[in-house]
Amino acid sequence: MKSDETMPAERFTGHGSEWQNSRLAPQDAQVATAWVEQVINRRSMLTGKDRVADVRDAMWQLEKDGEIVVHRISEEHKPVVVRTLYGWQKKIPTVRLWHHKSCGQCGNIPGYPASLLWLMNRLGVEYLDETDQTSCTAWNYHGSGIGNIESLAAVFLRNFHQAYVAARAQGLPDGYYYPLVHCGTSFGNYKEVRGYLLQSAKLRERVRQILAKLGRLVDGKLLIPEEIVHYSEWLHVMRDEVKKLQTVDCSRIRATIHPACHVYKMVPEDVIYDDKVLDGNRVAVSTGLMQTLGAQVIDYQTWYDCCGFGFRHIISEREFTRSFAIDRKIRVAVEQAHADVMIGHDTGCITTLDKNQWISKADGRPVSLPVLADCQFAALVCGAHPYKIVQSHWHASPTEELMDKLGIDWRARKAEFEEYLQEVAAGRPENLYDPRRKITSGPGFTPRVQPAGQAG
Amino acid sequence: MTLEHTTRVQEHIGDPVSAGAPVERAKLEQIFQDIQSDLRFDHMLNGCLNCGICTATCPSAQYYDYSPREIVQLLWTENLEGIYDAMQEKIWACAQCYTCAARCPFGNSPGGLVMLMREAAIKHGMESAKNVLRPFSRVMLKLISTGNQLSPDMISKDAFPDWGPNISKVSAPLETLRKAIPVPTLHTTKTAWEVNLKTSVELYTIWEETGVINSLKAIDPNLFDVIRDIMDDKRDELSEWQEEQAQD
Repeated sequence: MKSDETMPAERFTGHGSEWQNSRLAPQDAQVATAWVEQVINRRSMLTGKDRVADVRDAMWQLEKDGEIVVHRISEEHKPVVVRTLYGWQKKIPTVRLWHHKSCGQCGNIPGYPASLLWLMNRLGVEYLDETDQTSCTAWNYHGSGIGNIESLAAVFLRNFHQAYVAARAQGLPDGYYYPLVHCGTSFGNYKEVRGYLLQSAKLRERVRQILAKLGRLVDGKLLIPEEIVHYSEWLHVMRDEVKKLQTVDCSRIRATIHPACHVYKMVPEDVIYDDKVLDGNRVAVSTGLMQTLGAQVIDYQTWYDCCGFGFRHIISEREFTRSFAIDRKIRVAVEQAHADVMIGHDTGCITTLDKNQWISKADGRPVSLPVLADCQFAALVCGAHPYKIVQSHWHASPTEELMDKLGIDWRARKAEFEEYLQEVAAGRPENLYDPRRKITSGPGFTPRVQPAGQAG
Repeated sequence: MTLEHTTRVQEHIGDPVSAGAPVERAKLEQIFQDIQSDLRFDHMLNGCLNCGICTATCPSAQYYDYSPREIVQLLWTENLEGIYDAMQEKIWACAQCYTCAARCPFGNSPGGLVMLMREAAIKHGMESAKNVLRPFSRVMLKLISTGNQLSPDMISKDAFPDWGPNISKVSAPLETLRKAIPVPTLHTTKTAWEVNLKTSVELYTIWEETGVINSLKAIDPNLFDVIRDIMDDKRDELSEWQEEQAQD
């Protein structure tokens, strides 16, 4: 061991200018790191640690103590029970869903929510998509640091309270609709915040005062959802039903999956794993769907990596975002997995991976790969219009190449869509549900009982 | 290269080659106190053996002078000068993927700790936070005034030239393309979806009650003024509507 005089003991640095290349030969480098891959490719990477407590136990106790009210997933929501990381049970409601939209999806990848709603219409699932909701605010928080645990918690509880009472506009009871979270960032954030709320009386009291000012308490208590449910979980439990709608064969498609960090690395104990889906060593959502639809799911070395979104990096340090997206994800999927498509289940990932490909031409090593959300792919192979529903024209990646491989005549469909735009410009757009349902209170609301039947 | 021990962080905080005055001990303690007093701190920091698995797996560590292991060590050892130093630039390198948290054998969340440090950087109006967040002001304006973080009119070829020519593969006015989305709440260009006026005003109460508005004032007074005006206007608009309803 070196003496204190020669050791840089007070130097706290990372892999910056002081980093030194080991200069190992490629073969030696592989030997040196092989053990890492053997570990990280296993679910035991997560289960091998000390188990965390199930916050739902605290939730039920708090309800018993009269501190909170739990928004239950009832039999009327026709739940399907799945298994999470440790084998715990999680209820996924399948009907009467309140769509909690994603700002990035709606603003930038609108075919994402449109495809999901289209699938629900085809499956006869009742839902509500309304204007009384905000973003979760977590993208901004993780990117800028503007916000805090109290603001995140208050926004969470406000939005979920609205989901609880939204059916009043239709003359239906509270709790009729159950919130379905579209965005992976929201999903991770809400789960984390729910955990802190259940563990901190101080936070609960502080936020209770705020929610009281907003008139967002139930019997003077905070309303906590029994489960926080991501749309990809709904799609996962509905995959066999979706399969029944399939009209386009995708058995020749080699699909790579990008699991979203905020979906499965945040609050990992709540994530669905299934021993039948890649031996339970990967999160089951998206992969399970693609396998059910008959696509070939191809594993790849950097499946565990993030996409490079970075929250603020995609806005202001894009050289990081695009370098990571290209070199660690897209290029690996293309060159190692020979993928035809990369499938994701989160807003930031789809945006990052889809948009940051063209720039790879800059260093003379262009790479491209169609990128879609799982529900967009599912809608596509179930016969959804590639432009009216899947809205593939908002994607910068070559989705046309995927459609060619699926035998979809995208040129004809694109021409149809361009013709349809004239109808839209003339004020005759087609919608997936009655637009009058979108306002449930406040300005623009017509106080009348709206039909509660099947949407669209 | 010599590796002799230096006391640079104590003598020249934030910049080892500048002759800037050191930061007072009381301020360093206050910053650490703000980080440590967050209820999440004890959940996110349980110990550290310097194994480095967090840094080995960190995307930002591959591109920046940034190491989640270093962040954890600084907080674990309560190295006040080092914490302040890291808040000048390093904490903004983190991509917030939480891969570090998923892998840490101790159950630490280095990414989460970074967020507590970012919050403190903003609270103390650090220049680093102002510089780093300047390009983010449009997102903050959108979020705080409307409740949406992103809108279709923010995505353009001019704003994102490196995304190439295919940002939209169909040539038509944005308004028309938005109305061609078969989801009625999405027929908007200035917000990602149509946000109820009542909803936005409720959110203003949250911003005020949780001190977010004050944080914004510390970091960007001009943006704060703009947002204040918008908030006042929207509150007036809602009040007028409520009065009309009462008269009816």
